[in-house]
Amino acid sequence: MEDNILDVRNLNISFSNYGKTSKVLRDVSINVSRGERVSLIGQSGSGKTVTMRAIIGTLPTPPAIIESGEILYENQNLLALNRIERNKIKGSGISIILQDPLLSFNPVLTILRQMEDIIKYSDIRIGISRGHEGRKKLITETLRKVQLSDYERILNSYPIMLSGGMRQRVLIGMALLNNPKLLIADEPGTALDVTTQKEILDLLNSLVKDEGLSLLFITHNLGVVREMADRIYVMQNGKIVETNSRENIFKKPKHQYTIKLMESVPPLFGDKVIDVKNTNSEVDEIISVANLNKSFPIRTGFFNRITSQNHAVKSVNLTINSGDIYGIAGESGSGKTTIAKILLGLYGATSGTIKINNLNLAEQAELKSYRKLIQIVYQNPGSSLNRKRTVSQILSVPLKFSGYSNTMIKDRVNELLQMVGLPTSYSSMYPHELSGGQKQRVAIARALSLEPKIIVLDEPTSALDVLIQGTVINLLHRLKKQLGLTYIFISHDLSLMRNFCNKIAIMFKGEICEAGNTKDIFSNPQHLYTKALISSIPVISDKEESLKPKVTYEERSAVLQNTRKI
Amino acid sequence: MNHPLGTNISGEDDTEQHRSLTSSQMAWFRFRSNPSSIIGAFIVLSVIFVAIFAPLIAPSPQSAGSFVDFMNRHSPPSRDFLFGTDNVGRDIFTRVIFGYRVSLGLVVGVLGFAVPFGVFLGLLAGYFGNWTEFVIMRFTDIMLAIPPLAMALAITAVLSPNLINAMIAITMLWWTWHTRLIYRIVKAQMNEDYVEAARVAGASHFHIMFRELLPNCISAISVKISLDAGFVILFGAALSFLGLGVQPPTPDLGTMVSTGSEYLPEYWWEALMPGLAILYAILGFNLLGDGLRDMMDVEV
Repeated sequence: MEDNILDVRNLNISFSNYGKTSKVLRDVSINVSRGERVSLIGQSGSGKTVTMRAIIGTLPTPPAIIESGEILYENQNLLALNRIERNKIKGSGISIILQDPLLSFNPVLTILRQMEDIIKYSDIRIGISRGHEGRKKLITETLRKVQLSDYERILNSYPIMLSGGMRQRVLIGMALLNNPKLLIADEPGTALDVTTQKEILDLLNSLVKDEGLSLLFITHNLGVVREMADRIYVMQNGKIVETNSRENIFKKPKHQYTIKLMESVPPLFGDKVIDVKNTNSEVDEIISVANLNKSFPIRTGFFNRITSQNHAVKSVNLTINSGDIYGIAGESGSGKTTIAKILLGLYGATSGTIKINNLNLAEQAELKSYRKLIQIVYQNPGSSLNRKRTVSQILSVPLKFSGYSNTMIKDRVNELLQMVGLPTSYSSMYPHELSGGQKQRVAIARALSLEPKIIVLDEPTSALDVLIQGTVINLLHRLKKQLGLTYIFISHDLSLMRNFCNKIAIMFKGEICEAGNTKDIFSNPQHLYTKALISSIPVISDKEESLKPKVTYEERSAVLQNTRKI
Repeated sequence: MNHPLGTNISGEDDTEQHRSLTSSQMAWFRFRSNPSSIIGAFIVLSVIFVAIFAPLIAPSPQSAGSFVDFMNRHSPPSRDFLFGTDNVGRDIFTRVIFGYRVSLGLVVGVLGFAVPFGVFLGLLAGYFGNWTEFVIMRFTDIMLAIPPLAMALAITAVLSPNLINAMIAITMLWWTWHTRLIYRIVKAQMNEDYVEAARVAGASHFHIMFRELLPNCISAISVKISLDAGFVILFGAALSFLGLGVQPPTPDLGTMVSTGSEYLPEYWWEALMPGLAILYAILGFNLLGDGLRDMMDVEV
């Protein structure tokens, strides 16, 4: 095909690290035609980012070694070009949007300065000159394209002053400054809340259409791909395992890996949805929270005086029965983690009553026995497991402090490892020797060690790949059944919660705006925010898309308006 | 019975062992691929070796004391006297070797007190925060504001100038750097979930400080120690040079430079050779420290 704007042919790349060479890309071939949206999908470590960096030429060599293959951009082999020729293509030919909008900016320069610099250097490369006014004109035009208004304020802001969504928009604007023909997007919006992510994806789609761009979209999220691609490449272990049009991939995936990926995405609507029920024969109230408020003082000025209060949790009422899997959903900053920490006795409540096991929380929070009642599994096992301590040292901490003897500890550690499906030989390993899923299993084992009745799960799978997520969820279900646990599941991933929780509370700006049985909330959401949230979730089939609640653009912006910064 | 969400993917091998190099293997690779760290390690080992076996290696062990050989005073470096002789005819090479003993003794003495004390205060300040932090860190700042030589002068003026008092003077100033280093690391580590997880597990303050936080400081401490060793030698030599440290006839590198400098430039070796010996040891400790820093990937 002559009309390919980008054609990667049989690219082989290996990395040489610590004296060992490992192959990361094997015969990768990708082409993007003019005006086409192509997605590259794969799990972390599959080689998608390496491919992206090879195309834009930022692969560090060494340790990377490009063994063979060509990357043709408009029939020009990029790998054969010298540095100067290649730099000319950057920005004006191929442009890139990176994943983390905050890390992509220089925090000490204003947005204007950073955008001007981009134009300045590309002007030098291309060999034209224009003054400050000319550059500023181009910048404001670009900001209009990414649907930002109030240019003056944005341009004079530092990155930290903008909200995540705004930063991502500015970042897209930066990529568009020099009218590129091909846009490469590396998981844009992944770091953002689902409602903001939805806006960013819509924006990208409209840009591609209006500006006639080609798009190479790199992601791990199948739901996002369905909205963003005409054609899809599936990548596994550095190999393209399947490529086809979007319809074909979603309707009849051929490769085993693609099928697995599809099946591991929790469905939001339809027959495959699992309705979880509380299977306990006797259901009694284990947690009851009435009128809970928590505010954090904001201290400013030279004397650190309290100048205002940040109301993180406002008048929250919750009732959780034994045997429930109670989901607390909400976007970042909605107060869901604060509630969890109050329940764990880590923060005191500002006001309100909390009863756990029919006893006031305040009376028991400091007691050792309270630790045997409630425990927590954190989001990121890389941070919640001390990397300088072995698995058995980690697991023995709670045991040691509740009076187990050394021999009892050893037996209990082995028992715990078996419970979470890890071989007992792992007890002498350090966390970095384990994979992400294994680490999370160790964290679960630690939470189980004192035989608690309640476990708070703070986004336990969000740091894991979707394939691993399934196995961890599976383990949690098995443990719940075996040990008769009650879970409080905190997450922003609503499709996972739909299939995992029997009850759910939706949090919005510190308040619970809606709570009830998961099934009812999803089939008939009442609060506008819930509707906006559910409708923003990327799904993997048209049928599910049609079942989502309908929210107009105006309604959505009306409810979300207040959450945006500045 | 598997939960339906998990059934179709239960074959995924997340329970299989991860094959990768262990961190010590990676660290050793980084250390080895940096030639200067190997040279540094070699120099440091050679200094330690000669210091330990000084009486066996030294060509004229009697030169270490108040030995006088007027026949050979001010002899230039030769086959008999590798580094030449000093104003009373003692072999400078022998005195340098014994001088290393004094220098390393100083390093062990100073760091043996300063490091545990500084680390302990840093842990306390970083872990407890609030008032503990305020009191400890402001006290540290005050100690840091005192010019080191003025402090040493004051102490040796009150007490008498000798090795032990020099050691006390240096120690009193040295711990501050360790307090600040550990304080900074602990502050950063406090944001990690494992600290809170230990609290939820019911662990004591002692456990969290010494079993959870301290292991995460060890690599920074060891880098700091090896960099410090060089500077302690230098500072000790400076004190002796000023006559505030080790007193003759004990062979000390700083004192030797000091007395040797009176005979410059004719008898240049008398000041230059001990000076080069100081340079050699400090270079070794610094190269080693830099190598360890790269190897352990820490900032000090």
